[in-house]
Amino acid sequence: MIGAERVDFIGVPVRDLKRAEEFYGKTLGLERNPNSGERWIEYELGSVTIALISPEAMGPDFEPQPHQMPIALRVPDVEEARRKLEAAGVEFGKASIDSGVCHIAGFTDPDGNAFILHRRYAPYADGTTP
Amino acid sequence: MIAVQRTDFVGIYTQDLERAKKFYGETLGLKRNERSSDEWPEFETGNLTILLTSPERTGVEFSPNVGAIALRVPDVAEAMGKLRAAGVQFDFDDVYESPVCHMAFFKDPDGNALMLHHRHAPYSDGSLP
Repeated sequence: MIGAERVDFIGVPVRDLKRAEEFYGKTLGLERNPNSGERWIEYELGSVTIALISPEAMGPDFEPQPHQMPIALRVPDVEEARRKLEAAGVEFGKASIDSGVCHIAGFTDPDGNAFILHRRYAPYADGTTP
Repeated sequence: MIAVQRTDFVGIYTQDLERAKKFYGETLGLKRNERSSDEWPEFETGNLTILLTSPERTGVEFSPNVGAIALRVPDVAEAMGKLRAAGVQFDFDDVYESPVCHMAFFKDPDGNALMLHHRHAPYSDGSLP
């Protein structure tokens, strides 16, 4: 209807841009978009870009509220990735889940934004696998 | 470090699954992932899958997303007009023009932030999105 072509970015609200840069760039090891600026920083999540929405970009009155929506990062092995992130100090609130078709482990960034490690292992109904 | 391969989906919480299905499928006109069930409906934006889910399922207390998901459209003003005609309310009267892009901020029926987005300026390396 409106001709949506793709998602250009998902905004992730953060209070401390330096801390967030450290987390996304080093702890998660994501590639920074070289075309993003010093106040508007973007990271590549493979199929989509996240943009850190910070007081530097929005002004000093910006009050970040963390998002609940889980951004599901595909990793080869959820438990292995979880162990690595836990060793780096990332907190996972709950036990990992086996949904019957996929493995899931939820965590948050330093600002409380929700992410999950995700790996679907079961084929779809048509027999293909992700 | 943990070898992130891609983003499989983003889960958007809704307090009314039927209403949200109608909004994402009909008002926004996103394609339904035919493999997804009515219980866990997914919509395709081109590069990102949106999964609609309810807070009870994962035991969280509902609060709407503030950081917007930016939908690329060919023409922000035109898309804004179409969505307004369909009853969608926008945060500001006019298209917001940054030096590099056009934006229009709105919410889904649950109050989750979305935006129409179109970058018109080239990046510093001369390429365009």
